[in-house]
Amino acid sequence: MGKYADDPAWSDLTPLPTDEGGSHPLAQIAYSADYEETMSYLRALMAANEFSPRALDLTEDLIDMNPAHYTVWLYRAQCLFALNSDLHEELEWLNETALAHQKNYQIWHHRNLVVDKLGECGGETEFVARMFEKDAKNYHVWSYRQWLVKRFDLWEAGELEFTERMLGEDVRNNSAWNHRWFVVNGRAGAAGVGDPEVRAREVGFAEEAIGKVAQNQSPWNYLRGIMRRCGKPLAELKGIAEQYASLDRPDAVRSSFALDLLADILAEEEDGKEQAGRALDLLASRYDPIRKNYWAYRKDQLGLGELKQAVADVA
Amino acid sequence: MAIMKSEDIMGEPHFDKPRHIKYWTRCLKTLLPHQYTSNESNRMYLAYFIVSALDLLGALDSVLNEDERQGYIDWIYRCQHPNGGFRMWPGTDFGAKANPKNARWDPANIPATYFALATLLILKDDFKRINRRLTLIWLSQMQRSDGSFGETLVSGRVEGGQDPRFGYCATGIRYILRAATEGDLSIDGQVVKDVDLDAFVRCVRVAEAYDGGIADAPFHEPHAGYTFCSLGALAFVDRLNTRGLPTEQPPTAPCHPQSVLSWLVCRQTELADPDAGIDSEFVAAQDTRDTRKKEDGVTSEAQADGTVPAHQDPECSAGVTIFDLLVDGAGMNGRINKVADTCYGFWAGASLHIMQQPNLYHHEAVRRYLLGKTQHPVLGGYGKFPGDLPDLLHSYLGLAALSLAGHDQVKEIDGGMCLSKEARSRLPAIWESFADSR
Ligand SMILES: [Zn+2]
Repeated sequence: MGKYADDPAWSDLTPLPTDEGGSHPLAQIAYSADYEETMSYLRALMAANEFSPRALDLTEDLIDMNPAHYTVWLYRAQCLFALNSDLHEELEWLNETALAHQKNYQIWHHRNLVVDKLGECGGETEFVARMFEKDAKNYHVWSYRQWLVKRFDLWEAGELEFTERMLGEDVRNNSAWNHRWFVVNGRAGAAGVGDPEVRAREVGFAEEAIGKVAQNQSPWNYLRGIMRRCGKPLAELKGIAEQYASLDRPDAVRSSFALDLLADILAEEEDGKEQAGRALDLLASRYDPIRKNYWAYRKDQLGLGELKQAVADVA
Repeated sequence: MAIMKSEDIMGEPHFDKPRHIKYWTRCLKTLLPHQYTSNESNRMYLAYFIVSALDLLGALDSVLNEDERQGYIDWIYRCQHPNGGFRMWPGTDFGAKANPKNARWDPANIPATYFALATLLILKDDFKRINRRLTLIWLSQMQRSDGSFGETLVSGRVEGGQDPRFGYCATGIRYILRAATEGDLSIDGQVVKDVDLDAFVRCVRVAEAYDGGIADAPFHEPHAGYTFCSLGALAFVDRLNTRGLPTEQPPTAPCHPQSVLSWLVCRQTELADPDAGIDSEFVAAQDTRDTRKKEDGVTSEAQADGTVPAHQDPECSAGVTIFDLLVDGAGMNGRINKVADTCYGFWAGASLHIMQQPNLYHHEAVRRYLLGKTQHPVLGGYGKFPGDLPDLLHSYLGLAALSLAGHDQVKEIDGGMCLSKEARSRLPAIWESFADSR
């Protein structure tokens, strides 16, 4: 009894139940009779290597219940290509499935496969935007967006403006910052921030974001990343760091990330170690006490060690 | 309810060990609820969570009799693939219907193989039934030319996407089955090629991001889970660089260990409410903080020049007082500007342990977050966020994180392998028993 057993369209197929082998299976699940039946029919189809419309339907049914099944996706792709199925229809089904299972990565892998085969990406950026409305930091969706940009050469098709829009909605969205880094620096052969004009634009963009919210690590990291990629000293960032964290006004520090940066800059200056130590002390005692051991470690690296003390405190 | 003792108020929240043992014993001996159906194809790692959790709680020997121990070992071997490696569960094996044409739908699986081997180690199996030669041959076929590893081998193609989870599990399989030493082996008179470690190291290097974390691929956003997998894999193959410049002969990674450390310690955060925006979280916290300050007799820090310091700026999320930390604790997140989540107490914490800087994060704050916020008071186990129902992954990684953060009611855990140090200590004797020639 069941929706496949009772269906004449399936009467030629003998379901193939799973053999757990022995009386001590681990992590066995109290799944529904419906799932058990669907799985038995899937196993029978796969064992027979059947690529048919009904096989496509059944994989849909099973994926809905168990999207983590790692060969059902490959089997479905094989069916699609063997039957010359309409891949646009497949994408529509995938849209619904992706929205229902946002954390599943196989869905995105399958989507890559289908869109790659289609050779065109109309509608894809709109769908990605829909996904971002649900979760603007979904890792798979951002990875997929990077793939789209590379595969279809979308570097100049409004991608930089897209990161601006996303950061306009949430300046703390680190995924959007990371995507901007990719758009600026990720193109094969591109100079990225190595080009002085691009560098000035990107430094300006990050500084403006800091002006909106100073206690936001993303733009501070972005600035550090620019300096490292260009082989420039962090000292070039001393102006902005001091604007938000000055040792002359230890009560008015506006960003712990500015203070951290200042400590790194001072440590590279001649006779700056003592002052760097003061910045690290401020972080440990007032502005970022959660990381007091780390700030003590940094002092220790500068030869101003109090590390043993701090480690003893925590234990 | 028992009368509260003074240490319950001043001291750490209580670790309800019997309740955790009960939770895991139920997971072992009765069917998992139907909500796990979507994870049926991940059963081997669910099995590993269950067995390893009971080991960490010191309850495995009392919960299992000899027949059961052997029965569970037999089920794991039931999942061994005839051509090497393991399946995640018996559901892809066609039994009597298996033939060369349908073999592609029943491949061995890299994470399944690592978790099967790890679980066998915890269950004190002697590894005599492992098809070691075929597993290591299969493993060398699972590496792509760019150095990365995949999940399955289907019709000669490595499937499964670029993902350091596969690299971690693949190097873990290699470690358990042949230790860290490099080079080809001779097993049962057949030469078994080693994997290309230099290529693997290069593939981790290119995924180091501009901000110090490590991602799954170049230019992707760094992530504590992928950082753990990358560092753990490098440690498995003895190619980890923990300080200064990496070497080239042989290549090691990460290239910027100080940036990795800085990125990792920044994963610790007082943000704990997934439904609160970062701003509102801070504003809410600020009100109580101001009151506490007054009670504490700490003087207000009004600014003569009108600038608002970081720890009083309503736009800021930093500047939590020591007092807050001691009461609420602070868990860890997986990416910049996200809220804490139980499992990252392990991913980020263990990464620091692997980098040989286990004390750089605030252990007590992590313990308080886990015990006071995500431990489930009735069911045992841990949820992902405060108030969530427990699930196997977060319940296991919560225990693991607690152990790393120095809780003495949980067995000491090996951060790199994510199982008890006691279980890992059985490996040298197993390696000895393999007695290969080189
Ligand atoms: Zn989690």
